[in-house]
Amino acid sequence: MQQALGLSGDLAMMFAIMVALGIAGIVALMMALFWPPRWRMTYRVEVVGVLVLVALGVFADLNSASTFNAYEEGLSNEELSGTSIDLANQTEFDRVITVFAYQWGFLFLDEQGRASRSATTVKPGERILFKILSNDVIHGFNIPAARLITEVDPGGMRAVWIRAPDEPGKYLIQCVDYCGLGHHQMKAWLVVEGESEDHADGGGMDDMQGQGS
Amino acid sequence: MTASTRSGAVQAEDVTKVPDWTPEDLLGKTTFRALLFSDDYRLIALKGILAALMMVGLAGVAALTFRVELAAPGIQYLSPRPYIGLVTLHGMLMVFGFVIPLAISVGYYMLPKLLQLERLEWSWAAHGSFWTLLLAALLLIIGRPDFTWTFYAPMSLRVGGDLVWMGYLAIILVGISEFLAGLTLIRTVLAWKGTMRDLPLMGWAMGTEAILLLVSTPMLCLVGFLVLTDWAGLTAVYDTARGGSAVTFLWMFWFYGHPAVYLPLIPTIGVLYTLLPRFLGRPLWSKTSAHIAFILLLVLSFGVFHHHFQANVTVHTWVQRTFQFITLMIMIPSTMHVFNWIASLWQGPIPASVRAAIPFKFMMGAIFMIIVGGVPGFLNGQISVDTSFIHNTYWLPGHFHAMFLGFCVQAAVAGIYYLYPYFTGRRYNQTLANIHFWLWQFAIFAQIMLMYALGMAFFPRWVVDYLPLSEWSQPQAWLTVAGFGVGLGFLIFIVNLLVSARSGEVVTSDPWADSGSAAGAEPAAEPQRS
Repeated sequence: MQQALGLSGDLAMMFAIMVALGIAGIVALMMALFWPPRWRMTYRVEVVGVLVLVALGVFADLNSASTFNAYEEGLSNEELSGTSIDLANQTEFDRVITVFAYQWGFLFLDEQGRASRSATTVKPGERILFKILSNDVIHGFNIPAARLITEVDPGGMRAVWIRAPDEPGKYLIQCVDYCGLGHHQMKAWLVVEGESEDHADGGGMDDMQGQGS
Repeated sequence: MTASTRSGAVQAEDVTKVPDWTPEDLLGKTTFRALLFSDDYRLIALKGILAALMMVGLAGVAALTFRVELAAPGIQYLSPRPYIGLVTLHGMLMVFGFVIPLAISVGYYMLPKLLQLERLEWSWAAHGSFWTLLLAALLLIIGRPDFTWTFYAPMSLRVGGDLVWMGYLAIILVGISEFLAGLTLIRTVLAWKGTMRDLPLMGWAMGTEAILLLVSTPMLCLVGFLVLTDWAGLTAVYDTARGGSAVTFLWMFWFYGHPAVYLPLIPTIGVLYTLLPRFLGRPLWSKTSAHIAFILLLVLSFGVFHHHFQANVTVHTWVQRTFQFITLMIMIPSTMHVFNWIASLWQGPIPASVRAAIPFKFMMGAIFMIIVGGVPGFLNGQISVDTSFIHNTYWLPGHFHAMFLGFCVQAAVAGIYYLYPYFTGRRYNQTLANIHFWLWQFAIFAQIMLMYALGMAFFPRWVVDYLPLSEWSQPQAWLTVAGFGVGLGFLIFIVNLLVSARSGEVVTSDPWADSGSAAGAEPAAEPQRS
């Protein structure tokens, strides 16, 4: 979240912990089933296991909170509480885009008040603040290339920011909450200006860009 | 089962008398009328199991129908409305009509037997639960709501045809049905005359289940009722166009919704605790550990629901932080259960006859899947990770299919294979059962892994059409193949049950007597305390 683009170190670490826990469980099951030596566990083993899990839980809780807090440092209290839709008073960001999520599409409004449907254009590497609003039903807002998902309820506002990709192209924006029969159509594009705008090879999750153009 | 082995199992469960495990042709002796209306707990259980199997048949057909549609990008033959209608039917029938009732019904059979009771207490409530659920399923099928099983308001107020009210009514009836089931279970558990420490673990499981049902289901009824009255224009609790609040819906719905995911889990944990010592012919590793795990699971399960909509808010208040912490901590009781099973396996030999027993195989498959499905909970609970790639991507169906299909259904199927001789007086076909087992292991595992892969590629849930990205379309095509593998396995299961009821080998003595006897009864000592 903090880096807002690419697989961050924290996420990779959490993945590694999860995989290690899974492998430990499966290996223990397989050994219990197929490894000839037998023995009776003591409570000490279980207590140690529980303490390890508690430690991991506390670590994950602290890590998640610090990641989020760091991510939100650039956002004002009004933005965090979902009460501000002021377009003018944003200095930390290169660009502020207000997003109206509706059944079934996205409308983007830039700082000059220019509106565009289904696509918004930014420059490579820009820090962009999205202020997302809905006035009909609950919508999701997901930019896969930024590894960012949020949800907005009718009447509320969510503020999220990303650093735009350095590589020019079209990056998918999609709704991930079921919002009615046209939910599958609720897509838009983050267009990063530059010479090379199409990346249609589709060879990986970072290549959401360039599709559907 | 030999006397010594039986003795081991009894020590494991600490019941005062050995339950009577003599098989009989219950199905052949009973009439259709008796099956529907009898107060015999065995028939109440059988009725519930048969109805659940019919529900899963319907839900499975719905799933395979939309699976074919999803095999390739673009709209093949289902337009959005029937697609979402099928997804809704699949979700609701699987959760409310199959997984939860199946697990409870297996418990209906085992609970009185293990508690040495003559009957299921307050059987009128079990009957009421059954008929109410049947009515709810009928309303769902006729009304064809298209608001998914979570029916988020105000979306759910703005979809559906003229008959969508049937969907809202069905939700209320599901709540009533589950509440009634909770009444039966709690009353039956309270009929136990011994101490809590001596209460068989199936009693602990069903007691925990009953408390969850009784506390959470009134909220489901209330939410369903308020959606219905909002839709009718009588109230405006959730309708934001008239001053209602969607966030209120989220808080109220998930107060039921997350404890609800433990509703199929807890009885199947009880099934494992009951069958494992019986098959191994020795006591469980530790009843005390299981007691603590049940209590922790019950207490913590009411403090985790917020993680379902944590993408809706940020993490900077203590309330959200508390929910995150409890969500992370709930992996502890689940792990304690798994630890107990693995430790029980480890403390003595597992004879070849036990390894060959189909219920034992399915139990092992279930334990494997709860590990595969459970560890992602470590990521799901973290708000920073959830809002990175998890929330409402295919990662979540991967997680809950592993837990529901991989663990709960497989453990319940182990229970059905185990109980089969007690319902029919015959053995099932071992070859067909083996094919069923292996087909499911590969198909379910493939299904879960493909869903996880799609989640990491940000494939969104509930879409009938999607972009032609190779990282989306290829897993979706294979997911359809895996789905048909699961469907074929289920078909073989049903054929086996039907054919073996007529032509299976007749059994007159305890069919599982040989399973654990080779292992002998291990001492029933508790593990060393540290």
